[in-house]
Amino acid sequence: MSGLVLRLRAPLDERIDLSGLVAAARAPSAATTLARLPVGGGRQPIELGDVFHVSGDGGDRIVIDGSSGLVDGVGAGLDGGEMIVEGDVGQGAARGMRAGRLDIRGSSGHHLASGLRGGVVAVTGSAGDLLGAALPGERFGMAGGTVVVGGGIGARAGDRMRRGTIVVHGKVGAAAGARMMGGTIWTDGGFGDGPGPLLRRGTLIGAAAARLLATFGDCGAHDMVVLRILNRHLATTLGPLAPRPLPAKVRRLAGDLATIGKGEILLTAT
Amino acid sequence: MKVNGVAIDDTFAEAFGMSGTGLVITADTAKWARIAAETMCGFGTSVIGCGAECGIDREVPAAETPDGRPGVRVLLFGFSPDSLLPQLRNRVGQCVLTSPGSACFNGLDAETTLALSAGPRFFGDGWQTAKRLGKRRYWRVPVMDGEFVIEDKCGLTTDGVGGGNLLLIGSDRAGLLETTEAAVAAIAKIPDVITPFPGGIVRSGSKVGSKYKGAVASTNDAFCPTLRGATRSELEPGTIAVLEIVIDGLTSAAVASAMRAGLAAATSIGTAKGLTRISAGNYGGKLGQHHYHLKDLLA
Repeated sequence: MSGLVLRLRAPLDERIDLSGLVAAARAPSAATTLARLPVGGGRQPIELGDVFHVSGDGGDRIVIDGSSGLVDGVGAGLDGGEMIVEGDVGQGAARGMRAGRLDIRGSSGHHLASGLRGGVVAVTGSAGDLLGAALPGERFGMAGGTVVVGGGIGARAGDRMRRGTIVVHGKVGAAAGARMMGGTIWTDGGFGDGPGPLLRRGTLIGAAAARLLATFGDCGAHDMVVLRILNRHLATTLGPLAPRPLPAKVRRLAGDLATIGKGEILLTAT
Repeated sequence: MKVNGVAIDDTFAEAFGMSGTGLVITADTAKWARIAAETMCGFGTSVIGCGAECGIDREVPAAETPDGRPGVRVLLFGFSPDSLLPQLRNRVGQCVLTSPGSACFNGLDAETTLALSAGPRFFGDGWQTAKRLGKRRYWRVPVMDGEFVIEDKCGLTTDGVGGGNLLLIGSDRAGLLETTEAAVAAIAKIPDVITPFPGGIVRSGSKVGSKYKGAVASTNDAFCPTLRGATRSELEPGTIAVLEIVIDGLTSAAVASAMRAGLAAATSIGTAKGLTRISAGNYGGKLGQHHYHLKDLLA
């Protein structure tokens, strides 16, 4: 494996924070200073080299060979190139990422892709709550880019999401798209309870929902041109990770009519 | 010089720099995509009287369009970006938005852009919504047969060329028309060019100015066969008709290729249908930035 390689020395017993890794790896003197990057979150100072065997140089490729749900901030601020993680990751992966590709060959904790602006995040396993959501105090959540999750995800995905696309091959938890202002959440496995509370704009696409809010109005089944564009865009962007193309007709529910109601839920099992 | 019996004048076509843009119009069927495109290109023959010069560049297979439906690529040319924008807005708003099942996308990748959706999207009266996918933004405007989808911006080039031309001169009007049609068909195969006049052919070539105040152009009497004995004619005895092909292109190279294709098609037919001579229109070389010498295009 070329580029920068971090190989986990031993299983972790406390959380570490890799949110400074990308910036440090891009620094001119990365080869000599990277191992001393502070990554600890507790009382005892922890440096990157204490946890990982660091080899290679910065470049456009970073590989984390061995990770766990205790590793937070993976891929935060990624602005190009490729990062590959073998194993699970903790919270805040791909936070503020702007470009490039983050491949997580495992599952992710909460707040995956929070503040994502661009690039592609692919997770083979599942992801926790608040995927692509805004952090407390932030005006917007995810504002661009594409996230693909092979399994299911937790609750309130896309809270205050502005732009971008989330594709979930499994099930999506409750209240997906809460307060969403744009973008698309697409699930092959269907939505949990009450998708789209206070949804202003944006599109939620899925086979079905466990329960629909009363503030969504049924507009009937339609063949919509924009879905053809979306199908093509995802096939081009994601290749084999793209979801199954949508059927010719989907049932459109407009809402949330408790707010401006310019959003929509599109149910494929009409 | 003669090619296959056809005299080729030692002259050149003089053309002008233009601003241009391209659109891809799709619909449920190729028939309706073409109807929308043809309607939009109507009354788009000359910037002098129509505000823009428009035409269909080519049909776009469904596999190449953003929405996977059959499409048609349309090119529009104007004097400047400022003059092109209102033409774009009005033509899309009145002719594409209104056409059943249509959608309208950018058809020219360029760094500079025009606000394609500014205008048509406001037909949505507040119900319009945008969907950004990658670097492209699409507007969805609710209409009575579903949604009209229009891309937010389209590419703009200021390297376009308007007014490439060929003058086909003959002794048989019907035969000359057939030969000219064959030349237009050959030009249609060249990408990035249009022939904006009816069927790609102009029978009323013009000269600059007029005896009448306010008219910027008037009939090119030197090429009118019925005035051959009354004016300083450019036509030899026996000439019955002159037909012109005007070519606009996104690049000078595209216009040159189109003229070359038209010349080749016409000379390959030769004199069999009455074509006697091929010339080109110019203004002495002092007005247009682009000169296309016929002898160079035969090489």
